[in-house]
Amino acid sequence: MRKEQIYMRTFVHIILAFGAITMIAPFIWMLSTSLKSLNEVFVFPPTLFGESLRWNNYLQISDRFPFSIFFLNSMKIAVLVTAGQLFTCSLGGYSFARLKFPGRDIIFLLYLATLMIPYFVIVIPIFIMMRSFGWVDTHYALIVPGLFSAFGTFLMKQFFLTIPRELEDAAKIDGCTPFGIYRRIFLPLSKPALAALGIFTFMWSWNDFLAPLIFLNTITKRTIPLGLAVMQGLYSTDWPSLMAASVLSVMPIIIVFLCAQEFFVKGITLSGLKA
Amino acid sequence: MKRPKRGIMFTVVLMIVLVCFVSTAIGKVTLNFQGWEASPLETESVRKGIALFESRNPDIKVEYIPTPWSEHHSKLLILYAGNAAPDVAFVAAEPFYREFVKRGVLLDITEQFYEELKLEDFIPIDRKKMVVNGKIYGISSCVVAGVLFSNTNLYDEAGLDYPPRNVNEAWKWDEFISAAEKLTLTDTSGKVTQYGSYGLEAWFGLHSGHPLIMSNGGRLFNDDYTKCLMDQPAAVEVVQKMADVKRIHKASPDAFILQNIGMNAAQMLETGRIATLFDGSWSLQLLATLDFPIQVGVLPMFKRPVSVGTAHVHSAFKTTKYPEEAWKFVKFLSSEEYQIDLIRAGLWMPNRLSLYTPQGMERWLNPEVYPEGYEGIAEYFRDYLELIPYCFIPQEVQDIIEEETQLIWTDEKQAVEPVMKRLVERVNAVLAEQ
Amino acid sequence: MVTRPLRRKLKKRKVKGIAYNEVLWGYLFLLPNIVGVFSFIFFPLVIALGLSFFKWDILTPSVFFGLKNYIKIFQDITFLKVFRNTIYYVAGTVPLGIFIALIFAVALNRASRLIKLYRAIYFLPVVCSMIAVAIVWQWIYNPEFGFLNFVLSFIGIKGPKWLSSTQWAMPALIIVSIWKGLGFNIVIFLAGLQGIPDVYYEAARIDGASAWNQFWRITLPLLSSTTFFITVISVISSFQIFDQVFIMTDGGPARSTSVIVHYLYQNAFLYFKMGYASAMGCILFAAILSVTLIQVWRAKTWVHYGI
Repeated sequence: MRKEQIYMRTFVHIILAFGAITMIAPFIWMLSTSLKSLNEVFVFPPTLFGESLRWNNYLQISDRFPFSIFFLNSMKIAVLVTAGQLFTCSLGGYSFARLKFPGRDIIFLLYLATLMIPYFVIVIPIFIMMRSFGWVDTHYALIVPGLFSAFGTFLMKQFFLTIPRELEDAAKIDGCTPFGIYRRIFLPLSKPALAALGIFTFMWSWNDFLAPLIFLNTITKRTIPLGLAVMQGLYSTDWPSLMAASVLSVMPIIIVFLCAQEFFVKGITLSGLKA
Repeated sequence: MKRPKRGIMFTVVLMIVLVCFVSTAIGKVTLNFQGWEASPLETESVRKGIALFESRNPDIKVEYIPTPWSEHHSKLLILYAGNAAPDVAFVAAEPFYREFVKRGVLLDITEQFYEELKLEDFIPIDRKKMVVNGKIYGISSCVVAGVLFSNTNLYDEAGLDYPPRNVNEAWKWDEFISAAEKLTLTDTSGKVTQYGSYGLEAWFGLHSGHPLIMSNGGRLFNDDYTKCLMDQPAAVEVVQKMADVKRIHKASPDAFILQNIGMNAAQMLETGRIATLFDGSWSLQLLATLDFPIQVGVLPMFKRPVSVGTAHVHSAFKTTKYPEEAWKFVKFLSSEEYQIDLIRAGLWMPNRLSLYTPQGMERWLNPEVYPEGYEGIAEYFRDYLELIPYCFIPQEVQDIIEEETQLIWTDEKQAVEPVMKRLVERVNAVLAEQ
Repeated sequence: MVTRPLRRKLKKRKVKGIAYNEVLWGYLFLLPNIVGVFSFIFFPLVIALGLSFFKWDILTPSVFFGLKNYIKIFQDITFLKVFRNTIYYVAGTVPLGIFIALIFAVALNRASRLIKLYRAIYFLPVVCSMIAVAIVWQWIYNPEFGFLNFVLSFIGIKGPKWLSSTQWAMPALIIVSIWKGLGFNIVIFLAGLQGIPDVYYEAARIDGASAWNQFWRITLPLLSSTTFFITVISVISSFQIFDQVFIMTDGGPARSTSVIVHYLYQNAFLYFKMGYASAMGCILFAAILSVTLIQVWRAKTWVHYGI
């Protein structure tokens, strides 16, 4: 029995370690390539590092990949979208979770159905709308449609359902309006859920590629993923520069992730359970 | 959330928004100019040209927006439809120039053109390219065409003559094959270390399919571009022979169809992995910066020597707020003084007949870039070029041809004829819709 | 937001029943959200449906086309090809992705001490943008200088040409997608696993059930609702795959990796066929909807809710 357990444990750890290496190897490969010269890249068998670490590669791409501009653009869009969604989704989620009104369940079902609508189906009409607002090649085209989300509403609803009813019953007896209950009881209690939704929304908005691809053009308006894709299109075989730009582009979100890991997990668990 | 935190958040958002707004420029007329670029060297050249234009016209500022080739035209379409088109842009002749003209997107510059420029000054294929139903919507600034590059070190080692530079000495297909076979080397284990030829299958266009089919007396389309003729014997024969370079003669590496797959063709030529490369003449700019001796030759031929040429035009969009400045810029982009630097660098070939005279050639035949005997290639460009047929058919047809022919390059067992039959069927269906 | 008189009125009405109150508040709370979701999701969907009956190139006026776009789609060999490719991709990504995630989740669940570290590592690809990931993998897949074929050469396998081979390009994309999404599925599975009370396993152990039996009889059935959820969302997102295709292969070689969304993109923004593209989009939506409904319907036979 004891022996069997040890075998089992070793086996488990081997699997996990193998998986972890698979997960992390591409990142190391990315970093290592970003520090090589072009000639060192075309070497077989590949080496982990070139003769010297060329940190210079990162400086040299600054005119092709103006990271700070892209970073600010991505940041601006992601922050505004996240703030907007936290507001609209928490209100909507509260409404679905706690208030009774005719048509609620049907509307909620419709909401769930929207999760199945491919973005590309609606992108042409959205484009027509943006055109009529004069928002093509502006950040509005990304921010305004991003302020609302069926998924976020769903997530908040799931969380609000876990808050015990007794809490609000007391408030109701005190004559609190639903808005009061929402603000004084639900919001303070749902900080973890809000954080999870916020982080998720931020990540999606940050990594979004389709909408920027279609709506943005001017260099000074590009976001990080779009800027990276453009660079890939332009310098498709300059691997060290491409990898340097890739490293720069994943860095911010990885830092956010490492700092707020718990919330990511929380967010996923929330949406996954009781679905 | 507590109050101070919210305040910080708000300030951050506000600052970000502010930063984004401040960055917009103020003052003089700004022309947005959208282009694609094949290489960083090209961007540099374009930027240099823009600086020259700006110094001549201090009241005009040009904002250059490079976009990858793959997205350039869809971007232009979206931006135009969204009323946010640039003022001036590169427009590919094949096929977007005519597609855009058909949809009334480009500014008609016929009048200004005839007032200030002469059509007869341009080389023949450029005239054909620019004029649509008697009107002009864009001006070319160069021409590029398919040629044969070779690493002469490898030819010397094999004791072979370089690919001919003069049209009247052009290799017959069989001569090309025999050279390619001799230039294909294997090591003791039987692994091929050097291939005689590469690039035929990289793109079914400029430097492979089109000129070779034409050279064999075949055609790709009928006169009014309503029927594809690529299933005719002359075309099928050529495609079969192209496939045989790899299949029978084993003189070409496995198809590296995706251009993004690591080394580009120039790097392969430089490292001696291939001896001869079918490519566009623009590659000379990059090749000349690499450290090995190259030679440029004319394409091998079947019945007559021919190469296929094209190049983008510069057009102004109808929506531009500054049609006069845009015209000025488009005209500048076509001028000799703008092209000459890019020509001297090896990226472009001139579009003006005056630059093909002996005196004209002296101005750009830069010995640091152009290998010996390039005069022969210049003659080839002036007299033996045909405009690429893709100028007259929609993009979808190009994609179908590319897709179907890739089946031939990637699968050695794929019979050629049925593919060409299906290709023609599919292409005709698209053409019938037009 | 709410004016004072209204609030007073509402208070007065409270005596008559909270329901009235709730209806008004319910709608009010939903308002900002519903306005957005309707104008940026439902309304565009209706427009897209309408557009699919027109021939339109975005620049010149549209022409009513009736059902012609739909008829053409089913005669379009390219569409049939991209449809097949999409099914191939979904079938390759979803089951395998879930299976691997399940194995790792079960393993992780046992490695109690390092669980956080491993979870972070597995989750890393999830947070990165598909663009960066696709670029790196493109380089990893390089047949000559890439990392993957180098590793394969250790175990004596001569790696294929991956992205430039019509046979291997799609599997290559599938591998990337599984790699990227693995962490997401693992975390959901982990949450599901941690929801299974230990009592069950203890009881099973007392009965002398083997580890395999425990997994088969306890873990899997009790995890079925989680598995169901993951399947549904994986299918939905796999049908919409685009980024990696766009960056890594652009649909090639010979359209072997072109999927519905990629062909739709080409039609809309390269071939000037907005109506045709819309029709394609509607078909995609219908496909996703029906597959999801079938899954929900079939779920009754294998998903156990509650414990």
